[in-house]
Amino acid sequence: MGSLELRNVTKVFGKTEIIKGIDLSVKDGEFVVFVGPSGCGKSTLLRMIAGLEDVTSGAVVLDGQDVTAVAPAKRGIAMVFQSYALYPHLTVRDNMGLALRQAGAPRSEIAQAVGRASAMLALDPYLERRPAELSGGQRQRVAIGRAIVRTPSLFLFDEPLSNLDAALRVATRIEIARLHRELGATMIYVTHDQVEAMTLADRIVVLRAGQVEQVGRPMELYNDPANTFVAGFIGSPRMNFLKGAALGESADTVGVRPEHLAISRQGNAIPGTVSHVEKLGGETLVYVRSEVHGLLTVRLFGEQDFSVDEAVQLTPEPPRSLRFDAAGRRLR
Amino acid sequence: MTARRPIRWHIAVFLAPAVLVYTAIMIVPLIGTLNLSLYRATETGPQFVGLGNFRTLFGDALWSDAFWNALGNNVWFFIIHMLVQNPIGILLAALLSSPRLRLAAFYRTAIFVPTVLSFVIVGFVWKLILSPLWGIAPSMLGAVGLKGLFAPWLGQEGSALTALALVSVWQFVGIPMMLIYAALLSIPDEVMEAAEMDGITGWSRFWKVQLPLILPSIGIISILTFVGNFNAFDLIYVAQGALAGPDFATDILGTFLYRTFFGFQLQIGDPNMGAAIATAMFLIILAGVCVYLFGIQTRLRRYQF
Repeated sequence: MGSLELRNVTKVFGKTEIIKGIDLSVKDGEFVVFVGPSGCGKSTLLRMIAGLEDVTSGAVVLDGQDVTAVAPAKRGIAMVFQSYALYPHLTVRDNMGLALRQAGAPRSEIAQAVGRASAMLALDPYLERRPAELSGGQRQRVAIGRAIVRTPSLFLFDEPLSNLDAALRVATRIEIARLHRELGATMIYVTHDQVEAMTLADRIVVLRAGQVEQVGRPMELYNDPANTFVAGFIGSPRMNFLKGAALGESADTVGVRPEHLAISRQGNAIPGTVSHVEKLGGETLVYVRSEVHGLLTVRLFGEQDFSVDEAVQLTPEPPRSLRFDAAGRRLR
Repeated sequence: MTARRPIRWHIAVFLAPAVLVYTAIMIVPLIGTLNLSLYRATETGPQFVGLGNFRTLFGDALWSDAFWNALGNNVWFFIIHMLVQNPIGILLAALLSSPRLRLAAFYRTAIFVPTVLSFVIVGFVWKLILSPLWGIAPSMLGAVGLKGLFAPWLGQEGSALTALALVSVWQFVGIPMMLIYAALLSIPDEVMEAAEMDGITGWSRFWKVQLPLILPSIGIISILTFVGNFNAFDLIYVAQGALAGPDFATDILGTFLYRTFFGFQLQIGDPNMGAAIATAMFLIILAGVCVYLFGIQTRLRRYQF
């Protein structure tokens, strides 16, 4: 109870085509993350699934039923917004219970549902407070609680963590992963942060300019990207793109992850000079400027000593480099 | 030893312009009026009579009947505004804020235009429209077969005040509309979308989400209406003259004050009694504002989004 299918959906605002025909199917209980740069249409696509945005053509199918023309509340979908979007005049308890009250559920059932959600999210001490009296993290938990209370078959999250500070973001991310395991519901999550995408998703949908670039499990996308866009978007720091001709390769571009680039002080591989070093304790990032390839990133384990302007040699690990043609498509 | 803080003259300097202007045009005349109401003109000059003028105003049937009549009319004038103007203003704002409405900017301007018109124009135009002899109201009602409903509303004691109150509503409905419209626009889209996801749409969305969030604005509008209505004068004066006919049926505190203070036709002006009425009006409005400030506003919550 919670499978979703998008059949060639498009969205046109005026004359601009925001979503250019997307097909996607999401299995029951799956956690799917839409990721892409800003303006790629990921939020619009989510809002089309929610019913907040009309679908120009194509169909949204939930559990085998075409819901393209069904009102948002009737789709059995709950959504968590970026700005939390809590009702400022209602207490936490009423915020969570309003949808059920509107649907005419009996009091005891509402109380039970709110109690269950608040226990799950550790919101019990705050039930009588109003949103203004809560911290950002607590507000986000209330927004998630409001979604849980309705026991939807599909949860939608629209960049739910982007208003939280870094530490809280990690904690809430883990919380959402735990909720997904406990509830077993289907979840679709929009973010521009590829770390969130990698850590939460069963499958990631990478979007660019209203089109799906690639769909796959996080490690699939990481190890086996279909093109330079996905290769560059997934993984941090970004993948290095080397010029194939300079390496004696037939491919136009050769992609090498920063951890697959060996650095040494002698040899005759790719010469360059160190332009910046970032020491993070557990790892060291060395930025090397190469005359042929531009700025390259090398990721080293542990603490390493390199100084700026030092001359170094870089060697790609051949089996781990990915080859792309001039249009950015992967050569296999 | 602590060094003495220098006197911070700049505070006084920055406050001075506002304080001086406000004192000159508000405080001094107010005190002058209060003072004037404690004297009575005699042949030998002004004579202090304490609360004597108020004793006359409330004790002498000639004065007190007129006063209570004006106050009662004023209360009715206010009730009409609260029951007609403000609900219509809220309704118009709710319609204007609907994203599906086309030409919203045109309606907003059109509804607001009467507010910037002069009272003289509004009063005169409506007198003409409602005139049984050459007004267009009878023929317009006739055009839809309702000529039987027409009555000379401004000329009948029973309907004149209500008719004028409705003219005033027509003129000023744009103000509550604009204030509520602004309040509705300040509710974030995502909150409204969250309500949509929760199945709260249409009227229940208005009652359960929007109305609670615009209550502070409704409070402000109520107090503005109260002060405006109890200070009203112009429209009645233009439409019915200072005698506020027929037979004082449209007499409100403003016109009563005007007749008393300046005199009208056979009535000789009496600044001292006029000042006593003005003082009574001041106290009535002060009481109303205090009830609002301490009784109502403290209970209205402003929500941050």
